[in-house]
Amino acid sequence: MSLLQEERDIIIQNKYADNFDFAEIEDFVKNASKDLFISHRFKNANKMLVQPRGGFPTYQKQYDLYEFFVNADVDILPLTIDSNTRLNDYATSSKMLKLSEENEVDMLNGYPLVNHGYKTTRKMITHFNKPVSLRHGTPDARLLIETAIASGIFEIEGGPITYLLPYSKNFPLDKAFLYWKYVERVCANYSKLNEPINRESFGPLTATLVPPCVTIVIQLLEMLLSLEEGVKSFSVSFSQTGSMNQDIVTGAVIRKMAKYYAEEIGCGDASVHLVYHQWMGAFPTDKNFAECLINTSTVIAAMVGADKIITKTREEASGIPTKEANAKTVANTQYTLRMLNGLPNVVDKEEEEILTEEVMSIMEAVFNDPADTLWRKVFNSIKNGTIDVPFSPHIINHNEVVTVRDKNKNIRIIKKGNLPISDRCFEYEKKQCDLNKDASSIVNDIIHDIGIMQW
Amino acid sequence: MKVVTGVVGNDIHVVANRLIDISLQARGFEVFNLGVNTYLEEFLDAVIETNADVLLISSLNGEAEGWCREVKILKSKYGNLLDGVVFMIGGNLVVGTHSSDEIIPRFRDYGFDLVFHQVDLNTGLDALEKHLEDRK
Repeated sequence: MSLLQEERDIIIQNKYADNFDFAEIEDFVKNASKDLFISHRFKNANKMLVQPRGGFPTYQKQYDLYEFFVNADVDILPLTIDSNTRLNDYATSSKMLKLSEENEVDMLNGYPLVNHGYKTTRKMITHFNKPVSLRHGTPDARLLIETAIASGIFEIEGGPITYLLPYSKNFPLDKAFLYWKYVERVCANYSKLNEPINRESFGPLTATLVPPCVTIVIQLLEMLLSLEEGVKSFSVSFSQTGSMNQDIVTGAVIRKMAKYYAEEIGCGDASVHLVYHQWMGAFPTDKNFAECLINTSTVIAAMVGADKIITKTREEASGIPTKEANAKTVANTQYTLRMLNGLPNVVDKEEEEILTEEVMSIMEAVFNDPADTLWRKVFNSIKNGTIDVPFSPHIINHNEVVTVRDKNKNIRIIKKGNLPISDRCFEYEKKQCDLNKDASSIVNDIIHDIGIMQW
Repeated sequence: MKVVTGVVGNDIHVVANRLIDISLQARGFEVFNLGVNTYLEEFLDAVIETNADVLLISSLNGEAEGWCREVKILKSKYGNLLDGVVFMIGGNLVVGTHSSDEIIPRFRDYGFDLVFHQVDLNTGLDALEKHLEDRK
């Protein structure tokens, strides 16, 4: 028996896991409708795909949410997982699910997929017959992903870096790499049976003044870690930076670099897609302003040329959105997208050149780490600050990089920590900002720059 | 001057914590940042380990109220090791809405020298500097 199968057999022994019948699951994936695969949708789509966010504890409420989404002309359905399941605390999610079912109050902030099990969930997913994307934030997602694919969920978001650095203080990063290696292998194996399973990285990270070069490097590394295990369809992503120009430049560079590095490791046959997240920072409490922001995000996504957009709602500032508000954003986003044809092609050569150079310098430093495997090189690079994510709560993160916005709202690096970017690039970044201020004013600027969309 | 700082309890709100770190450094302090999700014992141990002059605890989700009532008891366990350390707390200190007039004396009583509830960061740090100046 292979090591992977041995590990599998241990994982599914968890007492909260469904009764896995792998032969039946293989058969199901082999014969599953092509409409369930986002990789198939990407191949045949002639528009940007629209995907909202959303997960409710009970089967019935999730079903109702999907009905609303389908009526609003959704392209991709989300399945957002609750926070207990994300921490592998299935006992608590099971208890909270029961309470939610008995009292008609939501006691969980998402759908506890492991507790519902794949046999039940598959009924809902095959009924709607649309691609479903799994949204979670789990460092050890092995059981969750087995359950998801068996349910007919053929897009898996996340990764060892992007699901750890923004969400955890001290979950061991080396373990996260190994748990995600398992996920990649399982996705790669199922991809051989029908259309490929799509993996998507979570580019927003902390959504707090993350410089584009850091976002892109992490996207590329998670993509490479996935492709080297045999995944054939991958989405890189990022969220609205606050500057339209910076978004367009980021989109152009990430596309170019993804193709370049995929070919470098001999995986040029994999298809790579670009996903754009509507503004992920603090939202305005005024719901009309929130709608303006959402609409502007959609326009920028069209300028970026994203393959998929992930939406927010007018209720973002006030908690988990109702299904009505959520469906409304989907309908509005589709409406806006129908208007946006024949857009001008904006290219900022200088910015693209600087960003490309920054990305390549950091990637080179990662590859030059003496460790023997890619995941160990990446692990060491995070540990020594070659990769440094602003505002990560994790103890391994260096927290030396400081960024502010320039007058055009572009995110700029004013303190580079151990980021191995060239003097030329660093001088360019700093030159855009007014740094002749005392330190307290710069801190006030940072506070303002974080909350930029609230005023 | 050395400062130990961090966010108390199971609070994971990291943005303000980083800003406190940057601001303190900008003002010339040597900062030992324990980050989010830090327990009271960890704070006091770090103060002793680093020989810090100031302990600056922050809270965003209001967990401070629940944790900080034990400061005095815990402090007493350390004998005179913490004498002369400035205990400061700031942020959003309670769950729900209460007035500062009510909250400040309560946290003073818990063992804090400086208490700032929903006060701008720089105002708080100005007050800390003044307090340290006056003590000289």
